[in-house]
Parts: sequence; C-alpha cells; structure tokens
Amino acid sequence: MKKRILVLALALCMLFGILAACAPSGSDKTVIEFWHIQTTEPQVSIIERAVERFIEANPQYEVNIVTIMNDNYKERILIAMAANEVPDIFISWSGGPMIEYIEAGHIADITDLFNDSGLLNRYLEGGIAQATYNGRIWGVPTESVAVASVFYNKDIFANLGLSVPRTIGELEQVADTLVANDIIPFALANGPRWTGSFYYMYLATRYAGLEPFQNAVSGAGSFEHPSFEFAGDRIIDWVNRGFFAPGFNGNDEDAGQSRQLMYSEQAAMHVMGNWFVGQMMGENEAFIDKVGVFAFPAYENSNAHPDIAIGTAGDNFYHVSSTASSKEGAFNLIMQLLDDQAVQERVDSGMIPPVRGVQPELPLTRDVMAIIQRAPEVQLWYDQFLPPEVAQVHLSTSQALFGLQTTPQQANAEMQAAMVAYRNR
Amino acid sequence: MNDNHNPTLSSIRKRSTHIAAAVFLSPALLFLVIFVLYPIINTFQLSTYNWSGISPTRTFIGLDNWRELMSDTIFWRAFQNNITLMVLSLVFQVPFALLLATILDAAGKRFNIFKVIWFLPLLMSTVAVGFLFRFVLDANFGLITFFSRLLGGGPIDLLGHPDRALFAVIGVVAWRFIPFYMVLYLAGYSSLPDELYEAAIIDGASQSQYFWRVALPLLTPVIRSGAILSIVGSLAFFDLTFVMTGGGPSHASELMATHMYRSTFLTMRMSYGATIAGAMFILITTIALITIKLLSRKEKQQL
Repeated sequence: MKKRILVLALALCMLFGILAACAPSGSDKTVIEFWHIQTTEPQVSIIERAVERFIEANPQYEVNIVTIMNDNYKERILIAMAANEVPDIFISWSGGPMIEYIEAGHIADITDLFNDSGLLNRYLEGGIAQATYNGRIWGVPTESVAVASVFYNKDIFANLGLSVPRTIGELEQVADTLVANDIIPFALANGPRWTGSFYYMYLATRYAGLEPFQNAVSGAGSFEHPSFEFAGDRIIDWVNRGFFAPGFNGNDEDAGQSRQLMYSEQAAMHVMGNWFVGQMMGENEAFIDKVGVFAFPAYENSNAHPDIAIGTAGDNFYHVSSTASSKEGAFNLIMQLLDDQAVQERVDSGMIPPVRGVQPELPLTRDVMAIIQRAPEVQLWYDQFLPPEVAQVHLSTSQALFGLQTTPQQANAEMQAAMVAYRNR
Repeated sequence: MNDNHNPTLSSIRKRSTHIAAAVFLSPALLFLVIFVLYPIINTFQLSTYNWSGISPTRTFIGLDNWRELMSDTIFWRAFQNNITLMVLSLVFQVPFALLLATILDAAGKRFNIFKVIWFLPLLMSTVAVGFLFRFVLDANFGLITFFSRLLGGGPIDLLGHPDRALFAVIGVVAWRFIPFYMVLYLAGYSSLPDELYEAAIIDGASQSQYFWRVALPLLTPVIRSGAILSIVGSLAFFDLTFVMTGGGPSHASELMATHMYRSTFLTMRMSYGATIAGAMFILITTIALITIKLLSRKEKQQL
C-alpha cells in the first residue's frame, strides 16, 4: 500500500512539477516588457543606453528588453496577441498591420498621454500622421525616417562619363551604357520581394502620381489603372535588357547579396531605403565616399509631381499595449528612446530620427534629407500600407513580373481581385 | 461464498497490473491528449471560422475556408511540389544512402574517416545549411558559378529561376538528409549476424549475390521504415525551403508548410492557415497509411 501511494505521489509530481515552475516570482517593481527588432549595432546599444537612463530617472520600473529578428518578430507578436500576452511596448511599421492590431484592441490610445507630455511638437508631423488612425494617435515614430532613392557608385559614373539621370529615359540610357561596359546597372536582390516592389511603386508613382493607388485601395479606382501597367511593362523591359544581376530574383537582401555587388563594384546603382547608409557604416565604411544618391527620376511624358517619395516617416513605430501594467511608464520609456542623446547617437550612425531640427554631418545623409524635404508627399511602402493579405499578393505578383512569369495585365488583375476579396470579407 | 468474495490469485494480479498500467500510462496519455489530440481537434475547429489570429472576435463561416482551399491554386501547386520532393527523395536519397551504407559496411574500419565525413551534413542545423547554400548557389559569387566561369561558362542562376529553384532546394535537402538514412541502414547492417555472411560465402555466393539475395531482403524492414520517414518528412517539409527561397520566386518552390506559414503569419489569416494545416494532416495521413499498407502487403507476398 505504501508503495502504491509512493507511485501515485511520483506520478502526480511528474504532472504538476512542470506547472509549478511557472509560478511568478515576487518583486515590488513594475516590470515593462519591451520588444524591439533592432538587432545590429550601434542600434542595440543606443536603445540599451536609453533604457538605462530611463531606469535611473524612474527606479520604480524594471525593463525587460527582448530583441527579436525582423522576420521572426512578425510571427512572435501574432502569437502573443492570439494568446493575449502582448508585451507592454512593441513595434509595428504602421499601415495595414497597425490598423489590424488597433481594430483587434491590442494597442493603447496614447493621444492624451502625448498631449499632456508636451513633446508632440518635437516629432515630425508626417510621422505622427502615419501613427494616427480615426483621429487618434496610436504609436510613436522612433527609429528613422526612410525613403527609397537611387544610390550610385560615383567612380563608375565618372569613369564612363555618365551623369545623374533626371528622367526615366535617361536612366535607361545610363543602364544601357553600363550593360555595354559589363557592369550590372541595379544591385537588386529580390528574394524577399519588397526590394523589387520599390521599382514597381516608383514607376507607377512617376507615371501618374499617388491618386491611382489611393483610389485602387479605397475602391474608387482599380489596380488595372494604366500606371500599374506602365510599371509592369518597364520592369519586364528592364529585365530583358539585362539591368539586373544574374539570379537576382532569388538573392537575399537581408544576407547582403545585393550590397556585395555594390561593394565589389560589379553593380553601379542600388534602389534602397536610406538605412543603406547605416549598413555601409557597419559593413564597409570606406565605401561611403564613393557613393552618391539621387531621387528616382521623373517620367518624361507625365506631369505627376517628380519629387513624391516612397518610404516611411519614422519607422519603427513603438506602441503601448492596451494591457500594459503602466501605460504611462511605457509611454515615458518610449519618449526616452528618442531623447536628445539618443537622437544624436542615431544621427551619428547615419539614421534620420523623426524629430524636428536634425542636422546630419555626413554629406550622403544630408543629400538624402534634401530628397525627403523636397517631397510633397511620402507614400508608405505598399506592402506595409496595404492590408496584409493584399500586401502578400502585391509582393508575389511583383516578384513574378521580375521573373517574367506573368504579364502586367494578369498581375494587376490578380491585385484587383485580392483587393476586392478583402473588401468583401 | 461466491467468486466475487474469493478472487483467485491470477485475477488479483490481473487487476493490480491494470491499475499499475493505468497509473503509469496516465501522465503520458494526459500529455498526448493536451499536446497532440487537442491541437489537432482545435485546428479543425479553427478552420470553420474567419479569424485573423489577433482579433477578440471570430465569426463562424462553416466550410467556406475549405471551399476556398479547394480552388486555391497556390495550395495545389504547393502540394504538387511536395509530391515532387517526396518522389525525388525516395528515388535518390534512399538508394544512395543504401549504397553509402553498403560501402561502409563492406569496407569496415578502414573507411571510418568516410563515415565521419558523410555523417557531417546531418550535424549542422538545417537553417545554417540553408544559409550556407544560399551563398554556395549565389549566381554572382557562389561556388557553382565560380566553377562554371572557370570552365568558360556563364553565371548559373538556380534559386532565382522559377523552373530550377525547387530542384535546387531538393538537391540541398538530399545532401542534408542522405546521412540520416545512411546511419539508419548502417544500423540495419550491424544487426545482421556475421554468420549469415560467412555461410553465404562458404556456400559460394559472390559479394553481389550476398547483397541482393541475403542482405537486401533482410534489410527490407529498415528500408521500409526509412521510406515512410522520408515520405512523411517530405510532405511536411518546411525549413530549408523557407530559408533558401521562402517558397519563391513567386510560389515556384512553395510547399504546403510554407504556404501555411505565409497564410497564418504574413497574411494574418489564422483560420485559413489552420485549414491548410488540416488539409496537410488529412493528405499526409492518407498517403502514409496507403504506403504502409502497400509495403506490408508486398512483404506478405514475399513470405
């Protein structure tokens, strides 16, 4: 009998031992769970130092920083939300996914906290506008303003007597000359698909401005508008003229397969967000001197504004969870992430923090700033602006255009169908 | 007095065995129910809703997700790709692994160094292998293109080409998993008694006769388990494809599992992802059961 009890006790221990390990440990401090996706230096330590300053000033808090890789983050945050275990502070890229999070009730409305803090004027208007939904503010633009523009190798251009193209026609001539001289015009790595989307977005925008896209999204227009057909036609034409590196449609931007082409001077141009400057600082600082930048050229047969930029006015956006243990504490920590010292540290690492009065020293960053300041409008990347399921169709069809697997008509019809299906759901 | 009040010794033993079995098995059963049975039921239940995965509300939509799946061209293309992966894995991995195991078994200790080298790919994490081969297959700087240029050829695009990406991934899958089956068959060989080999040789059998007539029939059970593992593994495959191509370019190397991942986490349609998972469960179980049935029938015929 004793043995039997012992066996039963052991079995019960096996069962509940696991559960017991989950018991919470006691602490009188309020813990702020903080998830972000800055995995490269110096961004990691910029955040760490800001958090240290926050704790020094607010010792009643304890901050638990969790750093997650970009692509893993998207699934981790979704699982956290499905389980209702959302971290107190987390990020998004604004746009479609942010709206999904807001609609699902996971993001706290921080309008009042922002107004009371008196810090609202510190931030760029465009960034706050991007974090606004239904007239309320839901997030804080924090890391960097980023627009896509054309970075180019000044040495290669000089050697071949090329000048900066102002129209798409001139850009094509430059590219033809480069091809004739065995240099790859564009260092595109289109495995992750959003990289090729840059070309598609700019071509469509230069053809007829932003209205066709806005109308297609709202339902007043369609993705079968001529501007999207123009984008598809040019992409297919450019692929056929050999403007991209061999194997570009499978190469990985995150693993740097595009930048290798730039660094080894096998490619002359790179249509990329200005985080490219920061990447060069980390990977190949000496190379920066060789690099210049120009805005994506205008289309000669169009009167669309040639300075409209594609990008984001303050990526990443930091959100306070609607279930945060202390919304005020979380909000103040987010403010600390972009205090004067953090702004300076970000500027020094080639970023353009989304606050007023930033003065970068690096000439290349200043040139990027000029492009941003000239822009009358900044359109958020399609893949982040669109509802997630339509965004995936956009990424897939644009990659298919680059792979010559589809026609512009077919790709745009697919986009239109996805948009309609989403609206009807 | 009747039997109930006067149990026999054997019935007492029977009863206490049953109790002991129940006590010892209940934790395992509980875990199985919580971590295997419940998720499966839950997956099928989820597939009847429209749910983004994050919203507090979900709407019941019956079989709409399943209807959508039936006409989802990407899913069926992914299923086809899974079948291609399965067939090529069976055709290449299993015989090649058997060949390597046979060589190692025949050569004995002299080939220990090869045993280690051939085993190495299995020791690396699949994600690392995927990353490694991204660079090996890079059409500008990769090893394949390097050799092609050395021989006067041009760059070779594998992962970015819609007709080649799937086969490039399948090649890497083979490289990574052949050692696994090799070890499996090597273990099979070591369970064959030496006397069989000696008897066969004394009876005048040649090496090849020994392999075809003696070793191979005795290895059939191991080969069969290897084949079933390979089939199930290929149909549920995810990681190398995900790391190397992400299912691209434009779904050319999409597998059911990568499509499920994309639907769940990138398009934020948790319930549709659950539908794909449910469909995978049904398809894989069916194919695995049919294979087991076919293989065991063959065995009976042989006996």
